[in-house]
Amino acid sequence: MELQISEFNRNEVLLYLGWRGTEIDEDVAVAINNAIKITMNKIHPRFIWKEFPIDKSSWTLVDTDFGLKGNDIKVLLSDCDSVILMCATLGAEMDLEITKAKPRSLTNSIILDSCGSAAIETVCDEATKIISNDGFVNKHFTDRFSPGYGDFPIECQKDFIKILDTSRQIGLTLTESLIMIPRKSVTAIIGVANTPQTKRFRGCAYCSMFENCTYRKAGGYCGKT
Amino acid sequence: MEKHKIQYLDGAMGTMLQKAGLKPGRCPEILNITDRNTVVSIHKQYIEAGSQYIYSNTFGANRYKIKDSGYSVDELVSAGISCAKEASMGTDTKICLDIGPIGQLLEPYGPLPFLEAYDIFKEMLISGEKAGADLVVFETFTDLYEVKAAVLAAKENTSLPVFVTMSFELSGRTFTGCSVQAMATVLNGLAVDAMGINCSLAPFEIYPMAKELSSLTDLPIIVKANAGLPDPKTGLYSIDAKEFAQELIPFVDLGVSFLGGCCGTSPEYIKEIINETSSKIASEHYKTGQSVVCAPTNVVVIDGVKVIGERINPTGKKRFSQAIRENDLDYVIKQAVEQADAGADILDVNVGVPEVNEAETIVKVIRAIQSVTDLPLQIDSSSVEALEAGLRVVNGKAIINSVNGEKDKLEKILPIVKKYGAAVIGLTMDEKGIPKTAEERFIIAERILKEALKYGIPKEDVFIDCLTLTVSAEQDKAVETLKAMRRIKNELGLHLVLGVSNISFGLPNRELITSGFLMLAMENGLDLPIVNPNVESIMDTIRVFNVIYNRDKNAEKYIEACSNKPKVEMVVKSPVTTSFESDSFDLHPLVTSVLKGLKDECRQITIELLESGKTEMEIINTYLIPALDIVGSKYEKGELFLPQLINSATSATESFDVLKTQIAKNGSKSVSKGKIIVATVKGDIHDIGKNIVKTILENYGYTLIDLGKDVPPELVVKTATKEDVKLIGLSALMTTTLASMKETIDLLHKSNHECEIWVGGAVLTPEYAKEMGADYYAKDAMESVEIAKKVFGK
Repeated sequence: MELQISEFNRNEVLLYLGWRGTEIDEDVAVAINNAIKITMNKIHPRFIWKEFPIDKSSWTLVDTDFGLKGNDIKVLLSDCDSVILMCATLGAEMDLEITKAKPRSLTNSIILDSCGSAAIETVCDEATKIISNDGFVNKHFTDRFSPGYGDFPIECQKDFIKILDTSRQIGLTLTESLIMIPRKSVTAIIGVANTPQTKRFRGCAYCSMFENCTYRKAGGYCGKT
Repeated sequence: MEKHKIQYLDGAMGTMLQKAGLKPGRCPEILNITDRNTVVSIHKQYIEAGSQYIYSNTFGANRYKIKDSGYSVDELVSAGISCAKEASMGTDTKICLDIGPIGQLLEPYGPLPFLEAYDIFKEMLISGEKAGADLVVFETFTDLYEVKAAVLAAKENTSLPVFVTMSFELSGRTFTGCSVQAMATVLNGLAVDAMGINCSLAPFEIYPMAKELSSLTDLPIIVKANAGLPDPKTGLYSIDAKEFAQELIPFVDLGVSFLGGCCGTSPEYIKEIINETSSKIASEHYKTGQSVVCAPTNVVVIDGVKVIGERINPTGKKRFSQAIRENDLDYVIKQAVEQADAGADILDVNVGVPEVNEAETIVKVIRAIQSVTDLPLQIDSSSVEALEAGLRVVNGKAIINSVNGEKDKLEKILPIVKKYGAAVIGLTMDEKGIPKTAEERFIIAERILKEALKYGIPKEDVFIDCLTLTVSAEQDKAVETLKAMRRIKNELGLHLVLGVSNISFGLPNRELITSGFLMLAMENGLDLPIVNPNVESIMDTIRVFNVIYNRDKNAEKYIEACSNKPKVEMVVKSPVTTSFESDSFDLHPLVTSVLKGLKDECRQITIELLESGKTEMEIINTYLIPALDIVGSKYEKGELFLPQLINSATSATESFDVLKTQIAKNGSKSVSKGKIIVATVKGDIHDIGKNIVKTILENYGYTLIDLGKDVPPELVVKTATKEDVKLIGLSALMTTTLASMKETIDLLHKSNHECEIWVGGAVLTPEYAKEMGADYYAKDAMESVEIAKKVFGK
C-alpha cells in the first residue's frame, strides 16, 4: 500500500547528524533544507501489514512458522492476543539518490541519508495510524518492536520478508547478512491488546537507529527515548 | 502464434495454494513434491476453465529462495513442470516455466552481481527445458536489469520462447523506477516473444499503461492483473470475477492478445474472461519507429538535438589514462557526474589505454557510471571483445560506437548489436579511409544501413557519423561533411552523430570555430553531437539552435540557462556568521577557508601560495593540517556537527588536488605519508562511516586505497600484499557482519603480511575489537587519524 507523508522531523535529521545544539552555518542549513526537499521528492513510501493471533503455548503466530524468540518480545506482548506484522520502506529511488550524491558532495549524501532515516520513522508512525483506524476500535497498540531490538533476534527479519511477501508487495528484500534493501526500511511487530499499553522499553537497544546512531557511536545518548 | 487471436493464460497459483492450506511464508514450490495432487488439481481447474497456457508452480524455485527447503532447484523445477504436464495430459495446453524475481536486488540497488543473477536463472531454465516446458515466462519483475539477465540466460541456454511481464505501480513505474517505455525499449531490443504487465494493480489501473505499451511495441502483449487489493485481515480481494472480466474487455481493442489473472484470481475469473472476450479479435498495434535509448529510469527519445558527452575517454589525456591504469573509478565517476550535471543526455564511454584489459575495464567503468547517473551510455571501442563485454552488462539500451563500411567490422559487430538490442553508429569510411566527397560518404552510409537491416537491426537504430576533419589541415573537406549529412538525413532519414571538436584543432580560439561548425552541422541535420558539455559555448550554441528552430518552446530552457549564469560570477560571498567567526582573526586565509568549508577559496589560495614559492609540504604542514586539527577538536567537543566536519574536509581536498596536480607536473616528491587500505567487510554495505574516514585521512596526507563495500577478505589480503600496505581499516555496521570482519582479520594474520589493523563501526566496542584480533579500535574518523599518526610516526 502506498502512503504519503507531508513532512518529517527536521530536528531528528539534525540529531542523526550529530548536532548538539551549536549554531548551524548558513551553508549547512541551506544544504539540509535542500536535502529535505529532495527527500520529499524521491521517497515512495509503501507499507504492508497483516494481523496474526498469537499461540501463547508455543509463542508462535498462528498459521505461520514465526516463533517469537527472546524474552523482551514476550514481555511486550504479555497483554496481547494478536500482533500486527508491518513492513515499510521509502523505496529504491531514495537509496539511489544517496548514492548519486556521494561523488557530487559527500556532505549532501550524508545529510540525505539522515533525512531518509528521519522520513522512514514518520512513515512508520503514519502507517501505524492507518492500521489502527482499520478496525481496531477499543484496541490498544504496543510500541513497534523490530528484529535486533533487545534480545529479539535479527534473524527474524527473514520471517517478516517471507510472510508478508514483501519483495512482491512493496519491493523490500533482504541480503544474506540481513540488511534490508531498500536501505531505508523498517520491519516491526506491534502487539494488539484490550488495555492501554505503556512504553515498555527505553534506551538504545530498542531504537531503530541503533546501527547508525552518531550519538551512540560517540559514546553518547540522544535523550529521545 | 496467431497474432490477433486472443490466447488465454491461467490465474493465480499462490492464492489457490493458500486456499488449499499453504501457510504464509512457506515455500510453495515444495508442494510440487510433497502435495503434488493439490498442484495438479489447480492446473486442471484452470485448463477446464479454458486456459491455453498454464504457468508451472516454480515462481520462486531459485537457488537463493529455496536454500533452506531441503530440495534442489532441479528437483523443484522438474517436479513443477511434471505437475503441469500431468494436468495437461491429453490437451494441447502450453506449459510455461514460470520464473519470478530472485528476491535479492541487483547492483546498483542491492548486492547481487549481474553474472550471479544470470547463473541463478540459467540453473532454473536448464531444468525447466529438460523437464519439458514449452516456453518460459518471467513475471512480476520490477528491475529491468534483472530482466536482462533472465532473458540472456534463456536465450543463451535454451531454445524456449520467452515471455516477460513486469509489475508497475499506479505511478507507471516499477519499485525500482523502471518505466513502461524503458521496458518496451529494452525488450524490443532483446527480441522476446511477448511482453506485458502483471500483478500489483487491478485491470482498470493497468489500462493506461497497456495503452502506452501498445504504441511502443509490435510484439504480442500480455496482461495479467490482480483482482484488486487484498483485505489485510481476511485476505479477500476486492474485485469479483465478473467485474474483473468486464474491465478486461477494452484491452482487446488495444491489441492485448494474452489475457489471464494474477493475485486473487481463480479459475472462475478465467471462465468469465473467456465469456466476455472470446468472440473478439485483438486489434493491430504498431510501434512508433522513434529512435530511443535508455537507462531503466531515463528514456531518451531522439526527437531533437541530444548531447553525447565525450569526456570519458583517455585519448590525449594523461590524467585519465593514469586513472584507468590505477583503476581509479572515482576519477571516472567524477567525469560522468560533471557531464551529467552540465546537461549531457548520453555519455560516451571509452577506456582504451594500451596494456590495459579493455573488456574488463569497460565492465567496471560502466557499472560505476550507472550507479551514479541514469544517462544512457554509448559504448566506444575498437575492440569487438570490449564492445560485447560492455553491451552485456550495460543496464538499458546503449549505442555502439562504432562500425564503418569495412566488411569485416560490419560482420563482427552488427550481430552483437542485434543480439543485445543496441543502436549503432556507422562511420562513413571504409578500408580505403575517409572518402573525399560527400557522394562517396553517402554511399558508405547507404551500405551500412543495408547491412544493418540485413541483420534485423531496425532503421531507427542506425545512426551515421560523417566524420569531421581538421579544417586547418584540410580546409576544403569541412563542407563535404556537411553536404553528406544533409543528403543522408534527407534521403535515408537517419539520425546523425558527429564528434565536432576535431574541426578546430590547430587554430587559435578553438571554441569559436567549434561552436560555429556545430551550429552549421545542426542546421544540416546533426542531432547527436559528441561534445564536451562542460564547455559553456558548446551548450550555448545548442540552446540557441533550439530557440531558432522552435524546439525550445517560448525559449524556456534558454532563459533558464541565462538566468542561472550570473551565479557563476558570484565569487564574493556575503559574510555569514559561522562557528569560527570569533577565532578566525589571526588565522591564515587558507586555514579560515578550510574551517569555513569554502572550496573555491581553498583552491585559489593554494594556487597563490604555490606561486609565491611555498612548497607542497609547507602548505600541508603549515596550513592544512593545523586547520583540520582545529576542525577535529571542535568536532570532538560537539561544537561542530558532521556536515561541517565533512565540508571542511572536502574543502581541504580541493587544496590537495591542486598540490597533487603540481606534483605531477614538476615531478617533485610525493607528499604521501603512507598507504592505507579501507574497506567495509563482506556482506556489509554500510559505507558512510568508511567514506568519512577515507576523506579525513586523505586530508592528513595519507594515500588511501578504498576497496569499497561488501569486500571479500581475499581481496583485502591480496591488495595489502601487492601494494605493501601497512595499515588496514575495516568497517562493519551489523552484528551479522562482524563474523566476516573477524574472518578478514584472521586471513590477514595468516598471510604473514606485516601490517596493523584498525576497526570501527557502530556495533563494535574496544573490547570486542581486541577479541577479534584487531590492533586498534576507532570510534570515529578523528581517532582514525590518531591511529595513522601512531603507525606511520607522522
